[in-house]
Amino acid sequence: MSDINELYQQVILDHNKNPRNFGELNDATNVAGGHNPLCGDHIDVYARVEGGIIKEIKFKGAGCAISKASASIMTTLVIGKTISQTKKLFDDFIHIVTTDINSKCDTLELGKLAVFCGVREFPARVKCASLAWHTMMKAIQKSDSDNRKISTEDLVAAS
Amino acid sequence: MIKSVSFEKTIFNDIPQKFEAGTTNISGAIGLAKAIEFIRSVGFENIAAHEAKLLTYATEVLSTVKDLRIIGTAQHKSAVLSFVLDCAHPHDVGTLLDTEGVAVRTGQHCTEPLMRRFGIPAATRASFAIYNTFEEIDVLHKSLLKVVKLFS
Repeated sequence: MSDINELYQQVILDHNKNPRNFGELNDATNVAGGHNPLCGDHIDVYARVEGGIIKEIKFKGAGCAISKASASIMTTLVIGKTISQTKKLFDDFIHIVTTDINSKCDTLELGKLAVFCGVREFPARVKCASLAWHTMMKAIQKSDSDNRKISTEDLVAAS
Repeated sequence: MIKSVSFEKTIFNDIPQKFEAGTTNISGAIGLAKAIEFIRSVGFENIAAHEAKLLTYATEVLSTVKDLRIIGTAQHKSAVLSFVLDCAHPHDVGTLLDTEGVAVRTGQHCTEPLMRRFGIPAATRASFAIYNTFEEIDVLHKSLLKVVKLFS
């Protein structure tokens, strides 16, 4: 049961029950929607970006404990960060959940992201954990395209 | 398959050989025959009766789990039991049951409109067959109680 306890840590269970920054943001400058058609998870991310800094971020949606907790923790980590700092966090996060299961999880180095180390043991749950992060990146990245919807099935080739 | 091949002309074999290149699925055909033999030796009625008993027992036992709602309650349905828990999403239920040695199907079951009809995001489904036992349903029950404990 050690692996399963690693996945469902108290922090994850807490954020699942009491998600932070949950809801819509009326004065959002950047919005994106994310969807996993295989399991039905969907999420909307609202951000207010000013001067290249994420001033405020919220999310709304339905999904499993892993996806909801991941979205909640993600919002707490990127508030006040610049776009490039957020990109770095995103890359670190994706690395943590997809890296080799035998590689060490350095909690000191990873800080709050370390809570996601358990996800790599459950390949079927990686998409649950990463949906919010991909959607957030889609929202904050400047693009001429109006397509602000993202699907986990489009990410296979990209990731 | 072909009848003959040269640089000038290829003559394909007659149907069905024409469409069966390479070695035919011999082991598959033998396996299928053995499976039919086995099913016949047990008897369709006996299989149906066993599955019905398992379904009745599982429905009784799982109905006692707090805040568990059974989805799909038609009489004479197949030996499948779909359900949702108030406290946990089916994917979390599936992962936790898996670690207890119980394999279930989770998600939308390729029936997104039906999920909407029931007003649920997804469901967990246990299915019972000739090789399942009553003890296994007890394991499912106990594991579900653990899930409820973790999430509430």
